[in-house]
Amino acid sequence: MKARPAARAAMLTGIGLVLAFLYLPLVPPVLFGAGGYAGIRQNPILVDAVRNSLLLAALTALVTPPLALLGAMAVRELRVPRLVLLVLLLPLFVPGVSMGLATAVFLKLLGVTPSLRTILLVHVMWTLPFAFLVVLAAMATFDPVYLEAAYVLGAPRLRAFLDVELPLIRPGLLGAASLSAIVSLNETIRTSLVQGPLNTVQTYIWTTYLQVGLSPSLHALMSLLIGLTLALVAVLLVGKGRRGRVVTG
Amino acid sequence: MRRFVPGRRALLLLPVAFVVVFLIAPLALTVAVSLWQRAGFWVKPALSLAAYEQFVSGARLAVLGRSLQAAAVATAIGLSIAYPIAYALARHLSAAATRTVLLLFTIPFLVNYIIRTFAWTWLLGRTGPVNSLVVGTGLADQPLDWLLFSDFAVYVGLVTSYMPLMVFPLWISLSGIEQRLVEASWLLGAGPWRTFWRVTVPLSIPGVFAAVVFGFVGSFGESAVPIILGGVGYQLMGNAITSALDVLNYPIAAAMSTAVVAVMLLFLACWYLAFDLRTFLGKILRWRF
Repeated sequence: MKARPAARAAMLTGIGLVLAFLYLPLVPPVLFGAGGYAGIRQNPILVDAVRNSLLLAALTALVTPPLALLGAMAVRELRVPRLVLLVLLLPLFVPGVSMGLATAVFLKLLGVTPSLRTILLVHVMWTLPFAFLVVLAAMATFDPVYLEAAYVLGAPRLRAFLDVELPLIRPGLLGAASLSAIVSLNETIRTSLVQGPLNTVQTYIWTTYLQVGLSPSLHALMSLLIGLTLALVAVLLVGKGRRGRVVTG
Repeated sequence: MRRFVPGRRALLLLPVAFVVVFLIAPLALTVAVSLWQRAGFWVKPALSLAAYEQFVSGARLAVLGRSLQAAAVATAIGLSIAYPIAYALARHLSAAATRTVLLLFTIPFLVNYIIRTFAWTWLLGRTGPVNSLVVGTGLADQPLDWLLFSDFAVYVGLVTSYMPLMVFPLWISLSGIEQRLVEASWLLGAGPWRTFWRVTVPLSIPGVFAAVVFGFVGSFGESAVPIILGGVGYQLMGNAITSALDVLNYPIAAAMSTAVVAVMLLFLACWYLAFDLRTFLGKILRWRF
């Protein structure tokens, strides 16, 4: 049933108002960041933080999608799909403070000192459910009959995967990679509990806010992060458009 | 039938093992640490309920109560906004409009909610645009004080942080409802209102439950929003845990974190037992199991 034009306009107006309410908070950082960009390069702590953030986003984008792919294949092939789903979605539901505290205590008891590797561990854990859902969605558009056909024609498992399935789900994996990078770039609370002496841009913003409050340079950093996130969303959408063509073509 | 090669099975179980070793085991360890004793800057193994006694006897019990209330209010507000939107998308708007709207809900969610929450301190502040508007239009003589550093501000922060995520499970379950059931209800003489409450709402319960899990668990464990928008001394479970960590009181931090995780597990257990996760994800999981 399609709504009458007046009802439809009312619905879209209501949705528009809610969306305005959600997008409004993206404006102030841009308004107040004007004088803050110049100082970023002169602050060595901040230069390190930017490098760490970008490195972590890139590494997370490399590590998480293959793990998510294996998880999605496990849902399809193991006998306990519900249990696998629940376990792999669990990081999504554990509150950030609890995840950070648990990891910090665990690493401390094992005698592991905080480093980029420990932050990467937390980022991979936190991005895994997002990447997993994207890969699941991509694999759902793939008919396993193609794989059976490859087996019947004599292809070993690995070859069938590389030549038949992988090309078809590649856009999904790229989407999972950019989503992992976005989520990694925008993580604060979990990172702040395992960061040790290191900083990411997000933890720098958070600790500076707690110590001295907001400033133009923090707003400038936030604007840059918002810009980078939107750019990565654009990459994600381009990948999605390509996947649409694969399915219909 | 394909055969299982042991190495292949181990590979497929790798992600599950990753979560078990680096998340589930650490969470179990947190429960253990909550029973241990403080020793200098760290903890030593013991079997003591001291942390829990401290938890329920001091001001922290009030923090627990306030967190439960804040999470319940934020979830109820989020649901009352997200449900009509999901309903309109699933029933009344075209596929193209639905795709666009869902995308527009995803984008602000991807920007760190802490950055978005900072913005409210200006938007709701004494000299911010909301108060300028209120005073300028003569709705009030002077700026409203309760807009910022108050329960109201915290609810605004929690709702904007977690409501976008609630739209998705609601839309998934509402768009999965068989349209013929709704038509049958009309044919049998039920009006639109009655059909909505007796047919649509009951059939959308799995999505409602998923949305409640996202909203309630997220708000209940939230640590940044109360610090930014609650003002000095405003504590919910999340930032009470970080302030216990600031003074290196690991057992009490672990005990409070255990309480938060227990609430989450309770919700997840109900969800797992009552609903099939696969039917919830049915939209994206069309293959045969």
